[in-house]
Amino acid sequence: MVDLERIKDEARRLLKEGEVRGVIGYVQGPKGVWAVPALIQNPDDVDRLIWNPTCIHNLSLFVVEEKKDQARQKEPDKRPLAVVVKGCDSRAINVLLQEKFIEREEVILLGISCENSGVVDQKKLVSLLHGQKIEDIVYGDNGHIVVAINGERRVFAPDEVLADRCLECRANFPVISDYFFGEKIERESAPSFTQVEEIEKMRLEERRRFWEKEMARCLRCYACRSVCPMCYCAECVVDPISFAVEPTTSAEEKAKKIKWIEKSPLLSENFVYHLVRAIHLAGRCVDCGECERVCPEGIPIRLLNKKLEREALRLFNYVAGMDSQAPSLFSTFKETDPEDFIR
Amino acid sequence: MNSEHEPRIVAFLCKWCSSAGSDMAGVSRLEYPPNVIPITVMCSGSVSPLYILSAFNLGADGVLVSGCHPGDCHYIKGNMYARRRMALLKELLPYIGLEPERFQMSWVSAAEGLKFTQIIKEFVEQLKPLGPQTQLRRYL
Repeated sequence: MVDLERIKDEARRLLKEGEVRGVIGYVQGPKGVWAVPALIQNPDDVDRLIWNPTCIHNLSLFVVEEKKDQARQKEPDKRPLAVVVKGCDSRAINVLLQEKFIEREEVILLGISCENSGVVDQKKLVSLLHGQKIEDIVYGDNGHIVVAINGERRVFAPDEVLADRCLECRANFPVISDYFFGEKIERESAPSFTQVEEIEKMRLEERRRFWEKEMARCLRCYACRSVCPMCYCAECVVDPISFAVEPTTSAEEKAKKIKWIEKSPLLSENFVYHLVRAIHLAGRCVDCGECERVCPEGIPIRLLNKKLEREALRLFNYVAGMDSQAPSLFSTFKETDPEDFIR
Repeated sequence: MNSEHEPRIVAFLCKWCSSAGSDMAGVSRLEYPPNVIPITVMCSGSVSPLYILSAFNLGADGVLVSGCHPGDCHYIKGNMYARRRMALLKELLPYIGLEPERFQMSWVSAAEGLKFTQIIKEFVEQLKPLGPQTQLRRYL
């Protein structure tokens, strides 16, 4: 079991000794039991930290946000930032290190092992409980999730309530960390690409209809982009207003900016947006599942990223975020890379 | 009105080989279908998947990326990077329902004018029965 007190002690010590400028962790949110991310800067606030199956968010996103914020400050605090990381978060940190977006000294990682469980899927849980108010959620034995409702305790098996990505997770412990809490348990996980294979089994027209149905719903709210720790580009191809305008950018340069796709949520534009995003995340997506969680329309965005994750594994034997020293997928090649599709 | 659809192909040709290869086809007076819109790029490695998606978005029925044979890249290894990138895109497009024939890649050297014409001929033949590409095309 993960000992929350030990995490708090470590966080408190780091803050008291001034080793870090803040601790990013989970605290109790204002809405019932669900955890929310928080930046803690005062040692007295450390007691607010929690760890339970509702700690869904990928906190590496806030490392990116902090880094961007620092770039805007005149005299930024150069001390590192302590971050609570789960397995998937740690892989995201690895990708950021690999791409040299952050340096290793900039973060102190408080790694938490999910052991033989994971985090819950809010939608699954709410529908199982028919929307009843949840009073408490804690980890039980053997990865079970114990939920308190109406003063009574209900125990759920991991398969019932865990998020899909957790059920398919192959490294449910931090692959990089400075402090490690909990045990490294090699858990039996479901085969990773079942959903992708189901789509591949469809005929071409069926696949097209399936994706058209999904993509037609996209509102282009860009929530998936905002929540993704890998979408840190200052300038995004799909969104011409966000291109980096500097004091030296002339009016002509602004006017000449290529508009790759329309902003209106047309089916074709939605397709191109999601394909561009998927290909941009190839070999970088660590499957934290945040994009799918935040999508207000419930589009299975993760399936696109999963497909590329599988092809990267099948064709190039590459898994994202396992090694911060290894070259990234597209910055290297092998003589033996497949080329049977080339004429 | 049941005339056959004339496909439009956007071809990203490497300046150092495939573009010269198409030139070779021209000066050799080899005939091939006029359905190709050639775009010369400095290297097949400089072709972003975004260019290809954008070509489909703007109405291309097929996209060809053509570069130097492995080992012949003017920039030593640009085509090898392209090979990786395009391999993934090649897998991704049919996954969302686009016919796999619509996106192709080839190695054409500056001397292979004949190979270039054959690739275009076959590409056009493959695209004709598929009809216009409507999935990624922007209709305003």
